[in-house]
Amino acid sequence: MNAAAAAARPAYAELHCLSNFTFLRGASHPHELVHQALALGYSALALTDECSVAGVVRAHVAAKERPLQLIVGSEFRLDCGLRFAALAINRQGYAQLCRLITRGRRQAQKGQYRLSRADLEALPLPQCFILWLPGAEVRAEEAGWLAARCPHLRFAVELLRNGDDAAHLRRIRRLGEQLRVRLVASGDVHMHVRQRRPLQDALTAIRLGVPVAEAGTRLYPNGERYLREPERLARLYPPGLLQESVQVAAACRFSLDELRYEYPRELVPEGHTPTSYLRELTEAGARWRWSEGVPESERRAIEHELALIAELKYEPYFLTVHDIVAWARSRSILCQGRGSAANSRVCYCLGITSVDPQRGAALLFERFISKERNEPPDIDIDFEHDRREEVLQYVYAKYGRERAAIAATVIMYRPRSALRDLGKVFGLSVEDSGKLAKVMQWWDGSAQMTERMRAAGFDVGAPWLQLLLPLAQELVAHPGFPRHLSQHVGGFVIAADRLEDLVPVENAAMPERTVVQWDKDDLNDLGLLKVDLLALGMLSALRRAFELVNAYRGTKHTLGTPQAEDPKVYDMICAADTVGVFQIESRAQMAMLPRLKPRCYYDLVIEVAIVRPGPIQGDMVHPYLRRRASQEKVEYPSAEVREVLHRTLGVPIFQEQVMQIAIVAAGFTPGEADALRRAMAAWKRSGGLEPFRERLLVGMHQRGYSPDFAERIYKQMLGFGDYGFPQSHAMSFALLVYDSAWLKHYEPAAFCCALLNSQPMGFYAPAQLVRDARAHGVEVRPVDACASGWESSLERREDGEPALRLGLRLVKSLSEAGAQRLVAARERQGFASVQDLSARAGLDRGDLEALAAAGAFAALSGNRHLAFWEVAGTERALPLDFRETRGVVAGEGQPLLPLPTEGQGIVADYASIGLTLGRHPLALLRARLKAGALLTAQELKNTGHGARVRTAGIVLMRQRPGTAGGVTFLTLEDESGQVNVIVWERVGREQRPALLEARLLEVHGELQHQEGVCHLIAHRLIDRSALLGDLLTRSRDFH
Amino acid sequence: MKPLQSRPAPGEALPAPLPLPPRALLAPAAVPAAAHPSAELWAGLHLPGLADARRLEELATQMHAFTPRVSLEPPDGLTLEVRGSLHLFEGVAGLRTRVLAHCEAQGQPAVLSFAPTPLAALVAARAGKSLAVLSHAQLTGQLSALPLSVLRWPQPVVERLQRTGVRTVGAALRLPRAGFARRFGAAQLATLDALTSSTRAVRRLFRPRERFRRRHELTCEISSHEWLMNAFVPMLGELEQFLRARGSGVMQLECRLLHRQGQATRCQLELAAPACAAAQLAALLRVRLEALPLPEPVRALELRAATLLPRTERARSLWQPGEHGGSAGAEAHELIERLHARLGSGAVHGLALLDGHRPECAWTLSAPPPLARHGPLCGITVPAGPRPLWLLKQPQPLPVRDGLPQRRGPLNLLSEPERIESGWWDGGDVARDYYTACDPHGVRLWVFRERGRPHGWFLHGIFG
Repeated sequence: MNAAAAAARPAYAELHCLSNFTFLRGASHPHELVHQALALGYSALALTDECSVAGVVRAHVAAKERPLQLIVGSEFRLDCGLRFAALAINRQGYAQLCRLITRGRRQAQKGQYRLSRADLEALPLPQCFILWLPGAEVRAEEAGWLAARCPHLRFAVELLRNGDDAAHLRRIRRLGEQLRVRLVASGDVHMHVRQRRPLQDALTAIRLGVPVAEAGTRLYPNGERYLREPERLARLYPPGLLQESVQVAAACRFSLDELRYEYPRELVPEGHTPTSYLRELTEAGARWRWSEGVPESERRAIEHELALIAELKYEPYFLTVHDIVAWARSRSILCQGRGSAANSRVCYCLGITSVDPQRGAALLFERFISKERNEPPDIDIDFEHDRREEVLQYVYAKYGRERAAIAATVIMYRPRSALRDLGKVFGLSVEDSGKLAKVMQWWDGSAQMTERMRAAGFDVGAPWLQLLLPLAQELVAHPGFPRHLSQHVGGFVIAADRLEDLVPVENAAMPERTVVQWDKDDLNDLGLLKVDLLALGMLSALRRAFELVNAYRGTKHTLGTPQAEDPKVYDMICAADTVGVFQIESRAQMAMLPRLKPRCYYDLVIEVAIVRPGPIQGDMVHPYLRRRASQEKVEYPSAEVREVLHRTLGVPIFQEQVMQIAIVAAGFTPGEADALRRAMAAWKRSGGLEPFRERLLVGMHQRGYSPDFAERIYKQMLGFGDYGFPQSHAMSFALLVYDSAWLKHYEPAAFCCALLNSQPMGFYAPAQLVRDARAHGVEVRPVDACASGWESSLERREDGEPALRLGLRLVKSLSEAGAQRLVAARERQGFASVQDLSARAGLDRGDLEALAAAGAFAALSGNRHLAFWEVAGTERALPLDFRETRGVVAGEGQPLLPLPTEGQGIVADYASIGLTLGRHPLALLRARLKAGALLTAQELKNTGHGARVRTAGIVLMRQRPGTAGGVTFLTLEDESGQVNVIVWERVGREQRPALLEARLLEVHGELQHQEGVCHLIAHRLIDRSALLGDLLTRSRDFH
Repeated sequence: MKPLQSRPAPGEALPAPLPLPPRALLAPAAVPAAAHPSAELWAGLHLPGLADARRLEELATQMHAFTPRVSLEPPDGLTLEVRGSLHLFEGVAGLRTRVLAHCEAQGQPAVLSFAPTPLAALVAARAGKSLAVLSHAQLTGQLSALPLSVLRWPQPVVERLQRTGVRTVGAALRLPRAGFARRFGAAQLATLDALTSSTRAVRRLFRPRERFRRRHELTCEISSHEWLMNAFVPMLGELEQFLRARGSGVMQLECRLLHRQGQATRCQLELAAPACAAAQLAALLRVRLEALPLPEPVRALELRAATLLPRTERARSLWQPGEHGGSAGAEAHELIERLHARLGSGAVHGLALLDGHRPECAWTLSAPPPLARHGPLCGITVPAGPRPLWLLKQPQPLPVRDGLPQRRGPLNLLSEPERIESGWWDGGDVARDYYTACDPHGVRLWVFRERGRPHGWFLHGIFG
C-alpha cells in the first residue's frame, strides 16, 4: 500500500461481525475475517457471534500472529425484539458477558438461547460497550431503555444500501441527540468477502428449512454484509461515525491472553501445601508400587519430576486427577491412564497409570511435561464404559455445575451432511437429498464429489448441480464449516471459581450435561486445564470377567494379577486365536500375529503399535519383521541411536523414538523435540515440517551421521503423520491385551460371558463371540425364561466346569424392568406356564412377545408358534388381587399350528437375539452353494496358493482404512469359519453395489497363503442376499 | 362338478344326448348344477395399481353393462353379483372374457375370480388367481393356499398371526374360533366368516355419479345465431330444473353444435361460482355464441355438464351493491364472467405479490378473485425503497451521456441507490443499484445501473 492510498483510507474498526460460529448465519471462518480485516487495514475487529464466544479463540490465535486488535463481544436479540451487541472493555466486562451468555443458553434447549430484559437487568453489563442495533423501524422506547441502564452505550448505524439509508441515519441521529448518545458506524458483517453471498443465502435457507428459491425476502436483499473497504465506507458514512468506531475499539482493552486459569484448591488438606501434599501421596504410592524398596534410579526420576511439577505449579492438576482415580477405585470402577502420562513416575505412584517404568523402555518425561512448552499436562484416563457416567456425576457433584463442565466438540460439515443440506436448499425432497448424500461413502473425500455423482447417475452438468458443488466444497473445505456444538467424549474443564466467568456454559443434548463453548484445541490454545475421562469397553468386560471368575473359583483376580508372561497365553496369541482380545482381535492385527509371533510383554507393545497407518506408511513393518526373523542384519549408526532403537531392532516404531533420535542424533532440546511431534501430527493438514527437516539434516550431519540415515529418519517422520502411536500409550494398552488374552485362554466361558454383558464394544458381534467360545469347548445354553438372568451368566455343569447361559439382555425389545421382575418372580417360585409367568411378573404384551420371539418359552410352551399363541391369549395384566387366583384361561384346546422349520427357527434366532445356537444359515444353503462349485472357508484353507476359487459367506465386516489406497477388506463367514477377502480399488469401483450392499456375498478370486495367513483376492463379487430371505444380518462397517 | 371354463369348441360334439332346456342352448356352461340354483355368484375384480377413487367409480359405472349389482371395494377392487347375468354372457367364461377385455381396452390391468361370496371372489383376485369356484363345498379348499396378506388385515394382526406360524388363509380358518377372536379380534373373525359364509352377503350397491346431458335434434338445419339461442333456451331451462332439484350448480358447461359433416363446434362456458339460473347461463351463452364462427349449418345441439357442484343460495340484497353496506362482491363475479366471456379467459387476471427481492420476481399474474387463492400476500417483507405500479416486462436499456442515463433528455437521479443482489440459484442472478429518476418532462421513473460491467443503465418501471 502506498502512502497516498493509506492517507485516503479512513481509520475504521468493525464492531459488529459474525463468524460461522453463529451457526447457519455467518458465512466466514474467524481466521478469514481476521485476515481480511488486516488486509483492509482495519484498526480492530470485534467478533460478536450471536450469544456465543465459540469462535473467539480461533480468531484470537489468528490475530495474535499479526498486529490486529481483536475485541471479544457478542450479539443478542432479547425476546422483546431488542437487538444489541456487547463488547468486553476489560476482564470484568468479559466475565459479565460470559455470565449473560450462560444464562441465555442455560434457559433454552441445546443450540438456542432465550433472554429477556429482566435477564439483562439481573446480569447487567457495566464493563461492556453496548451497541444498540435498531431495526428498519427505529424504536425510541428501546433506545431509552438502554440509555437508562448502560453507561457505555452507542447507537450503531448500519448503512446497507437498502434504499433508505439517509432516512435511517436521520432517525437514529435525532434519537442520539435527544438521549445524548453518540453514534458509531458498524457493518452487520456476515462474511469476509462479498463472494460468500451465495453461501450466506444457502446457510439462511438451511436455517429456515426451506429451499433457497422459497426463502424470498427472508434472505438479505444484497451482499453488503461483508468487510467493506474503508474507502467505500467513507462514501457512505459521515467521518465522525467512522472515527467513533476507532475510539470505541481503543477503549476495549480486554484480550483473551488475560485469562488466568486457576486450579481447584480444595484437595489440599489443612497444614499442607500442594507441593508437600503431592510429595506425601507420591511417596506413599512409591512404597505401594515398589514394596521391596524404591530403586535408586526411580527415586532420582521421581525427584526430577516433582521438582519440575513444583516449578510449573502443576500440583493441583495431579491432585485433581488423583482424587478422581482414587474415588473410582473406591467404587471398584476399573480405570487406567493412557497416553503420555504413562511417561510419568508420579502418575504411576499415584495409581493414575499402570506401566511399571522398570518394564518400559527409557520413559520420556518431557513428552508429558516440558518447561519450554509451558503447556498444561494432558492426562487421559479410561474408565469402564458403562460406569463412566458415575465418574462424571462424581465430578459434577464434587465441584458443582458452576465449576465443572465438558469441553465442546465443534461438529463440522462432512461431505454427506453438506450434500444432504444443500440438496434441500436446491429444492430436493428429503428423500432425494438423502440419495444425493448417499453418493458419498464415509471414506470418500470431498475431491471425489463430482466423480461420485457422475457415477451415481446424477447429471453433473445440470445447472443446479453446477451451483451446488462449489458450495459443498466450501462447506467441507479445511478446516470444515461448523454446524453446531456437541459435547466432547469426556474432556472435563474444572475451575477454581465460577467457570462461567471464564467461558460461557451451555446445555448439551443429554439432560444434566453442560458444555463450555470451547473445544479442546481452544482450551489448549488458552492453556486451560482439561481432564479426559474416557470410556473403554474392555475395562467393563475385564471387570466383569474377573468378577465372574472370582465368584466361580473363589480367586481374587483383578487388573495385573494374572500370571505374567505365561507361554501358553502367547501360544494362543501367536496362533491368532484372539477373537475378543483387546486390540489384537482386529483382522489386520490377526494377520500380523503369526508373522510377528509375540512372546513377551514388550512384543505386545510393538504389536499394538505396529499395525497402524503410521508405521505401515513409513515402511517400518517389513524391516522390523525381517530383522526379527534374522533375515536382515541389525545395524546402528552410533551408540546413542542404538540406545534409543535397540528394543525395536533399529526400526523406529514409536513417536518417542523419533523424538529421542532428534535429541541424541540431531541435538534437539526435549522441548524442540516435542514441537517436532506436534508438527508431525499436523503436517498433512497444514505442512510446516520443512524447518525441522533442515535442522534435523544439519544436526545429524554435524554429529557425523550419513545423509542417507538422516533422510530415512525424516521420511519415517512423514509417514508417521497423524498416526504415530506413542510407546507410552501402547504400553498401557498392552497390559490390557495380556490380561484379556489370559482370561480368554484360561477362562473362556467367563470371558465370553463378560464380553456379551459389555456389548456394544469391540470388533465382533455376539454371534461371533459365541461361535468362538463354542469352538473352544464352552457349552452355551439358550435364553430361557426359566433359567436366564438379565445378564448372561455361568452355570455349574456336572463336571464342575462352567457353562455359559445366555442372558435376557440379548433379547431384542425386552425391557430391563420387565426382565428384572421376571427374575424376581422366578426366585420366589418357578413358573408353571406362560400365563402364570405373565401374571406373576406383570409383563406387558411387548415383553411377552419379545420373550416368545427369543424362544425363551421353550420349556413352558414348546415351539415358538405355540409360545406366540399362548402369549397372544394372555389377558392384560390384572389388578393385584386377581393375579394369584387367575391361572390358566379355561380350555380352548390346542390349536392346529404349523411346526416351525429349521430355517424359520434360525431366522427367528437371529432376529431376536442376533445369534443362533442352531446350525449356521449357510449350512442350510450348502447344497445349493455346492451346486455352484462354491467352497467353504475350511476348504479354502486346504486349497493351494494361487488357486482360482469361488466361495460365499455372510458379510461380517467391511473395512476401508484411509491408508490402504482404496482397498476394501471384507470378512465373510460361513458354517466352517471366516474368509478374509481383499477387494482392490478397481474391482470395488466396478462392482460397488455388490460390495456395499450384499449381506450374502459370492466371491470369485485368487487364493493367497502367506506366513500362515489366507486371503482371497476378489475378481468378481455377486450379491446373493436373496438366498437369505428375511434373515437379518448386519455388517459392521469400519473406517 | 365339471369345470365350467369354456364352451365346446366349434365342431366339437356337444356333450348331450340329454334333452337340454332352451336357455342352456344360449349358455350351456352357465347352468349352475349346484344345489342352490338361486344362490348368488360373485365376481371379484382386482385392479392392481389403481389408486384414483374417481377412476374406480368410472369403472364401476361401466360394469353396469354386465350387472346392476356392482359394489366398490376401494381402493382397487369391485365386486359384481353375476348369477343373473351369466346366461346373457355365455356363462362364466364368456363373462370373464368380456369383463377383462373391457378393462384391457381401458388400459387397466385386472384379475377376475368367481366365488359364492363376494369377499372370497375378491381376495382370490387379489392373490392374482383366476378362480371360478361355483359351490360352497369347494370354497375352503380353494382359498386355503392364499397368503394372509390378501385379507388386508392391519399389519400388527398379520404379524402376530405369522409369528404363530399362520401364513395362509387356510391356516387361519383351521384355528379355534373363540381362541382366534380373543387373540386377533372379532373383526378379523367376522372377515373369516364372511369369506365362507353361506348367508347372503350384504353389499352397498354403487350408483353411478349423476351428470346432465341433453341432445336436441333440430327440425331443420340452422345457421342463425339468434335461432340457435332460441333452441338452447328450453334446454337451459331443463338444466336449471335438474340442478335445482339436486341443490347443485355448475362451473363448467359444454355446448356442442353438431353439423352434417365435420367436427362439432364446441363452446365451453366458465363460471366464477357454481350457477344454475337459466337466465344467467343464457346471457353468457349469448355473448359467446355471437363471437362463434360456424363452419356449416347446425343439425343438432348438445348440452353437457359433467361435474355437479353443491351450490349455496345467495341471499338477494335489498340494497344496491356498495350501498348501505351491501357487498359489491356478488356483482363483481358477474362482471368478471362477462369480461371472461367477451375477452377470453386468458385476458382477465388478478395481481399478487410474491416473496422475493428481485422486482421481476416479486409479483405475478393470478387468477382473478374470487378464483384466486388468498395467501401469498401474508408474511412478505415490503421493501424499504419505493416500487412503481407499472413494471416493464423487460428492463429497457437507456443510452448514457456524460455518465448519466438519458430518456427524452438526461435523467435526474432523485434518490440514494437501493442495492439488490439476489437470484444466483436460478440462473437469474442480478446485481443492480436502483434509483428513482425524473426525466425532463417530469415523469418519475425507476431505473437501475448494473453492478457488473459494462455498468449499463436500464429503465425498469414508471411511477404513476
